[in-house]
Amino acid sequence: MTATVWAAVAILLVLSVALFLWIRTDRTRRRVATRPQISFDEEFAQEISPEPLQQPSEFVCELPRRYGQDRLALLVRDPGWLFAYWEVSATRLEAIRSSPKWRNARPVLRLYNVTGVDFNGHNALSFVDVPITPDATSWHIEVNQPNCSFCVDLGRLAPNGEFFTILRSNIVTTPRAALSDRIDEEWMWIEGIYRSIVKAETGVSSVLIVEELGRKAAEIPGVSSATLIQDRGEV
Amino acid sequence: MAKGYLALVLHAHLPYVRHPEYAFSLEERWFYEAVSECYIPLIWTFEKLLQDRVPFQVTLSLSPTLLSMLTDPFLQERYVRHLEKLIELGEKEVRRTRGTPFAVPAGMYLERYRNAHHTFCHRYHRNLVSAFRGFHATGAVEVITSAATHGYLPLMMLHPEAVHAQISVGVDVYRRHFGKKPPGMWLPECGYVHNLDRILAEEGIKYFFTDTHGVLFASHRPRFGVYAPIYCPSGVAAFGRDAESSKQVWSAQEGYPGDFDYREYYRDIGFDLDYDYIKDYVHPNGLRVHTGYKYYRITGKGRHKEPYVPEWADGKAVNHAGNFMFNRQHQIRYLAKFMDRPPLVVAPYDAELFGHWWFEGPRWLEVLARKIAFEQDELELITPGHYLQRHRCNQVATPCDSSWGKGGYNEVWLSDKNDWIYRHLHWAAEKMIELAERFPDAEGDLRRALNQAARELLLAQASDWAFIMSTGTMVDYAIRRTKQHLVNFKGLWHQINENRIEPFWVSELENRNNVFPDIDYRVYSPR
Repeated sequence: MTATVWAAVAILLVLSVALFLWIRTDRTRRRVATRPQISFDEEFAQEISPEPLQQPSEFVCELPRRYGQDRLALLVRDPGWLFAYWEVSATRLEAIRSSPKWRNARPVLRLYNVTGVDFNGHNALSFVDVPITPDATSWHIEVNQPNCSFCVDLGRLAPNGEFFTILRSNIVTTPRAALSDRIDEEWMWIEGIYRSIVKAETGVSSVLIVEELGRKAAEIPGVSSATLIQDRGEV
Repeated sequence: MAKGYLALVLHAHLPYVRHPEYAFSLEERWFYEAVSECYIPLIWTFEKLLQDRVPFQVTLSLSPTLLSMLTDPFLQERYVRHLEKLIELGEKEVRRTRGTPFAVPAGMYLERYRNAHHTFCHRYHRNLVSAFRGFHATGAVEVITSAATHGYLPLMMLHPEAVHAQISVGVDVYRRHFGKKPPGMWLPECGYVHNLDRILAEEGIKYFFTDTHGVLFASHRPRFGVYAPIYCPSGVAAFGRDAESSKQVWSAQEGYPGDFDYREYYRDIGFDLDYDYIKDYVHPNGLRVHTGYKYYRITGKGRHKEPYVPEWADGKAVNHAGNFMFNRQHQIRYLAKFMDRPPLVVAPYDAELFGHWWFEGPRWLEVLARKIAFEQDELELITPGHYLQRHRCNQVATPCDSSWGKGGYNEVWLSDKNDWIYRHLHWAAEKMIELAERFPDAEGDLRRALNQAARELLLAQASDWAFIMSTGTMVDYAIRRTKQHLVNFKGLWHQINENRIEPFWVSELENRNNVFPDIDYRVYSPR
């Protein structure tokens, strides 16, 4: 008899401890749970991308600020803009600083228009100097010239107008932003068995092209995921 | 013979998101969600069409990273567990919603996830690539691929060897899964840059796609606009996107997916229900996530939402398929007047739009294919491969540098938010090329280190990271991935250069970033 009573008391005790523990853990969980506080009316989920707030931020090694090389790279962003980044090695920088003629010279990017030219440093169609800040290592350059080739020099411009080149970039060509004026046509038979050049009757598809352009101005280019999300977000 | 053609192109891609180091990874869920909501439903669509002997033609691009994830045993195992949790949740939901208007959608999802489980585990034995291989073999689905890690090629062209490696590794991954070279290639983000076609030609690629202006603004004015492909001087064909058909499907304002009867993506029980009820199915740290159980229809522009009615949505999908076909017929009738050959309308879409975001998309696709096959004879579905077999003589012109991103050029991948990555990516590409030149036949640990360096470089180059930085969600993750792979690359480069390779560290990286197990670093050799 007493054994049963003891057993019952023991079971009760275990149960109450379990209940206590359960309530505690439940509470802590709840505390965690209330943190995000996301109202579904305001959430803007993306395509296949969960919300920010990732696992506790993880240690990431940082990338070097410099690679110890001389380099000036020029990239095309679109028909209106270029992007240049550069690095001047320490030895080069030292040489520059020790030379008296560099004193008082302003840092600039000299942008050469080299369209249709085999550029040798002196035969550019035109050039323009873009002033930059002394510590800049990259620059977005506005050109607004589709279908043109460019080269950039990183250099210093002395008060007397003299320009010293430090680094020269690769040559790039901006993309076309309109229909080509070239309306001569060449046709190809892919196996190479037959290859003919047919002089064009022009304007066959001008209706379509005008329509296409009209549409492009309105909505396209690039109805890719990015645009889709933006559209959707406004609904 | 049909008056004109429609080429539907679906591009399926996800970045390589495999994180064994975490018990729960939000990024891995991109993959699971895409499998359940997009890839498996598309498989069902193709199965139904083939089963009913509907003649159809669709082009499907599967990116090499996606192919790798679909065939990765670790992700397959985790996906099965993910599905089992969804089924468990569905069973609870069916009980909870009994007698409410949500009972119907709850039951629908439960059945879908059960079917997905069956399809994944029992029909294709966890390897969905085998499903696509089967479709490809029928000739109805032309499967192509993309660059290895979906690197944005126009901004990589300072090092053509690096571009070549992206293409060549992509071709190789495809060949391992499909037994031959891909007939065409989806350029990541439709990014075309001068001379890229020559590299494609070297790899035996017959065609690629550009945005509308890529073909329209070609070096010589294309006689038929974007309604016939052009040949690049290298002989590779470029197919330009038709803006009108794109907009009908893409645009959330005017496009089909915004219809009020379609399922609302943004209402999910992961956000709507009590935390205590849903906690086992969202992030263990308390972060609410999409579960996939979404019970509302779009209803209207406001916040008020009504329950989803599957029959209504299905009716709309049927209507919209009819409308799409009608518009294409109209377009083709008009275009045919000006052309000496049947006009071709190229309509490419992100595959993940179908099913994931536009829930009814796979059904729309199925109905569209049926209607085109049986209800008319003006319009014919075609793949670029078949088109080129029928129409071999095409105009020659060099496409315009372009992409299908916002702005139409490189702006999305080269903005003030992500321009900093290029000095590092270019440095790494340059060093990788130097290494490949210096070690023409490495063996043993050196070879493993060189191969892993190639993997890290490719992973760092994924266009997704720059895209995410530009568009602003999950930016930290994208930055971390870019930096981590570049730092890994730099570490390997130091060890190789200084002749002090640590085999344990190389093994660790091989396990963590195990994409493309068969890669050969000599793909970077100067050519």
